Amino acid sequence: MARNTAIKVSNLTHTVTSNTGNLTILKGINMEIKESESVAIVGSSGSGKSTLLGLLAGLDVNTSGDIFLYDQEFSSPSEEQRALVRGQYVGFVFQSFHLLPSLQAIENVMLPAELKGDKDARKKAEALLEKVGLSHRLTHYPNQLSGGEQQRVAIARAFASNPKILFADEPTGNLDEENGKLIIKLLFDLNQSQGTTLVMVTHDNELAKMCDRQLVMSAGQLTEKSL
Amino acid sequence: MSFAFRLMFRDIRSGDLLTLLLALVISVSTVTSIGLFIDRLQLSFEQESANLLAADRLIRSDDIIPAEWEAQANELSLQTAQRTSFTTMMFAGDSLQLSQLSAVSDGYPLKGAYLVDDVLFGAGQRSTETPKQGEVWVSSRLASLLKISLGDQVEVGDAKLKVTKYLVRDPGSSTSAFAISPRAVMNMADLAATNVIIPGSRVRYSLLLAGDRASLDEYENWITPQLNEDQRWQTPTQRGERIGDTIGRAESFLLLAGTLAVVMSGVAMALASARFVKRHLMQVAILKTLGATPKLLGKLFFLQLFALFIVGAMIGLGIGWGMQEIIASLLSGLMSTTLPEPSISRLWLGAATGMISMVVFCLPLMSHLIKISPLSVLQPNTKIELNSFAIYAIGFIGMFGLMCLYTNGFLLPSIMTAAILGIALFVAAIGWLAFKLGRSLTSGATSGWQIGLASLYRRLIPNLFQLLVFTLIIMLTLILIGVKSSLIADWQQQLPEDAPNHYLFNVQDEQIEQINDQTTQLGLKKSDWYPMVRGRVTAVNDETVQSLYPEEKGEPELYERELNLTWSDTLGKGNELVEGDFTAEGLSIEQRVAKEANLDIGDKLTINIGGNIVTLPITSVRTVDWGSMQPNFYLILPKSALEDYPANFVSSLFVDDAQAQSFYRAMATFPTVSILNVGDILKQIQTIIGQLSQAIQLVLFCILSAGALVLLASVRSTLEERLEEGALLRVLGARGALVRQALLVEFGALGFFAGLIATIGAETCLLGLQVFVFNAEASFHPLLWLLGPAIGVVVISTIGIFASRTVLKVPPMLLLRGL
Repeated sequence: MARNTAIKVSNLTHTVTSNTGNLTILKGINMEIKESESVAIVGSSGSGKSTLLGLLAGLDVNTSGDIFLYDQEFSSPSEEQRALVRGQYVGFVFQSFHLLPSLQAIENVMLPAELKGDKDARKKAEALLEKVGLSHRLTHYPNQLSGGEQQRVAIARAFASNPKILFADEPTGNLDEENGKLIIKLLFDLNQSQGTTLVMVTHDNELAKMCDRQLVMSAGQLTEKSL
Repeated sequence: MSFAFRLMFRDIRSGDLLTLLLALVISVSTVTSIGLFIDRLQLSFEQESANLLAADRLIRSDDIIPAEWEAQANELSLQTAQRTSFTTMMFAGDSLQLSQLSAVSDGYPLKGAYLVDDVLFGAGQRSTETPKQGEVWVSSRLASLLKISLGDQVEVGDAKLKVTKYLVRDPGSSTSAFAISPRAVMNMADLAATNVIIPGSRVRYSLLLAGDRASLDEYENWITPQLNEDQRWQTPTQRGERIGDTIGRAESFLLLAGTLAVVMSGVAMALASARFVKRHLMQVAILKTLGATPKLLGKLFFLQLFALFIVGAMIGLGIGWGMQEIIASLLSGLMSTTLPEPSISRLWLGAATGMISMVVFCLPLMSHLIKISPLSVLQPNTKIELNSFAIYAIGFIGMFGLMCLYTNGFLLPSIMTAAILGIALFVAAIGWLAFKLGRSLTSGATSGWQIGLASLYRRLIPNLFQLLVFTLIIMLTLILIGVKSSLIADWQQQLPEDAPNHYLFNVQDEQIEQINDQTTQLGLKKSDWYPMVRGRVTAVNDETVQSLYPEEKGEPELYERELNLTWSDTLGKGNELVEGDFTAEGLSIEQRVAKEANLDIGDKLTINIGGNIVTLPITSVRTVDWGSMQPNFYLILPKSALEDYPANFVSSLFVDDAQAQSFYRAMATFPTVSILNVGDILKQIQTIIGQLSQAIQLVLFCILSAGALVLLASVRSTLEERLEEGALLRVLGARGALVRQALLVEFGALGFFAGLIATIGAETCLLGLQVFVFNAEASFHPLLWLLGPAIGVVVISTIGIFASRTVLKVPPMLLLRGL
């Protein structure tokens, strides 16, 4: 059975204004990502990988072109609507974890479900933290956790809203090798068990190779890397 | 909604919301307590003054008061009473005496009470009754002069009345001279039978009114257009103006203090909000990536702020109420009556202050927060632009509005705003120069001095801002200390403990020696005798006063009425020569009236003294200390000019309670001498001053707490950067002592400069306040120049080190990880 299209991008261009003039970061990008596919976006620093990720997740508004998430136009609507779509479809894992420092691990994981008004938020969060091996760290604050542990909490949080698409920005960038491997394993396990589409920006070739597809970003252009 | 509160409760743990809450609580409670207290003070003053007036309002008339006036008052549910006062001869056996008699209707006095006694020259007990029909109450002095005692009969015109009480004080008499004047009071029902009031008699009719304020105001609106020039509408505050003046100044101080509290709490709120926003930038961005819409976030923060406002306002109002109760209990005994309960409706001022502070200081920052792009999560160095002009403008306008609302005027807020702006510019200039100088004097990072001074310049903008905040707080503190001490000193100076409390008038030349003997025997300290004649200024530089002021409007006081004049060759106590020669053959004039009449040395005044015309040039200008309670005069003539005129003499003396009765007995033998007792009023003022001083200390303490909070909030606002730097220094091997020294130098230098600039500012502001607001004389405050820099260094270093103690304690690793 043909898989649905999770993300569709056509003629995506993004220009930013700086004090030296206009700078075009993305130049007419076209791509399609199928449901439950895992895709790595690789490329050198400053090539526009993170910008693309931000646009795909609706964190920023592109200059021209179209982005569709599950056939829903995602590039033009207001911040209000994009936030609603994000809440419905999207999960995030960041290089610098981005846990809320004033919240305990469990409270961080509960957040997405709470935002949706889910009454079982705590129960679900406990289950997820158990899945990432942190059931003994529920009430710890982020600054009481190691980097690896913080990223595991972040992964639990990302999956708390049952996202259809998970965006990961250098998820192992701040971790040592051992913790990195653990995180990668978690990401892919969850990706497979929940059928989530995984879109990942990474410098790590090993990690990239584990994905179904690799897209190379270079000078604002995206090309498919043949495996 | 519950999510918003859950998030808020979790936030409370981080301390940022608590700082915001604390700022709000301090703001609301200070404004509330001061507002309520002023309200009570005003109510109490009005009540006390109403006792002096014997009513809430009074109509005084030279003609019979129309019956419909009283009917209209009764229609408005006002209580009424009538008093008719006149001078008449009273007879008892062979004795006769000219007396001041009042006939009062039943129900008089509407406010206050008579003091009466069964013993001659007794101290008196309260009585709210009036003499019954056929009875009369007479003052002890009148009884002595008429040689009568209780139970005897006196004749007033055709009526015979029985003496039933000795009258000590009539609540309707403006001074307490009653006990010693030949006065009496009788029932209105006996008045007609006396037949003493005939057409042409000099009679003063009074209609007394009491009731609720709205009805009184309505009645005033109705009556005012009907009053002719011989009729006056009197309110309690018009009496007892000296107390009004003292309370007025205390009110000005409290208002000033309250306004400063508002400003400080505002700054604390703004700082706490800014810190809250900075720390929540990433939280908002993350929440947005998790699907929180701007609308939801808006609702979330609005709910949080609203809940914070409700909690803060409730706590603040509660504390405010409690604080004014404490102030009031400190003042218990004030004005001999208990302070009336404050009006609950005054609480709105505190609540409104809290609300406005939140709207102008928190909302604009919060709305910026909600606008942050979720993209910030991918760009960790995103910073929100908090320094937008609009935020400052809204905060500034809000603060100004609050001050105006609070002081109910523009003058004080304008002076303060101008001063703050001036100080800001000054601080920026001086701070920039000083920090730059500090930087150029040091290089390297081997000592705490170098690191500390270098940091000052490196974080130039935040440090300048902090310097401004510190300067303002220290300045406000110094202003309050300055105002407080000069206010209290001024009051005390105005009314020394043994200030004369009795005046003797109408003393003839030949009586002087006998009176001197009496007072010496009693051991009373008396001022000199001043000869006194009455005269009117009729012309200035040969132009008549009538031609100068044909409409008799806007006349300076000097020309308005007959003046008491004296002559002397020596400058009296409490008089100080400002200009000219006092011994010259000319007039000596008091400075204020000279200014009002636009007169100067050399101007010639023509004075009519009992038909004799004297024309003399002004040869000297004096200031007079009216508070000294010595006999004082606007114009003093040279001895030669008046030596031959028949004069009365005047003197003043201090009589304490123990000696009062024997003094009155002794003076009863001089029936023609008038005695004016201002002692009760003086004592009242002294009590009020003493207790107001205590209240002011307490208010000052509240303001200082607010100031300390602002300092703490301000230090906390730059804490993160200092923490990071301290941690890095220690990672690089710096000893704890070095980091501590660097912090000390940085905060100490900030404190020193802030203290110094603050002193300059405070001295300037005090000058303005003394001259324009408190109507006092300008003075220099050397103590402030010591206090300012000292407070700056000690307080700011202490608070700074306290707030950043984690820099020194927490392992650097933990700090770096948390950052």
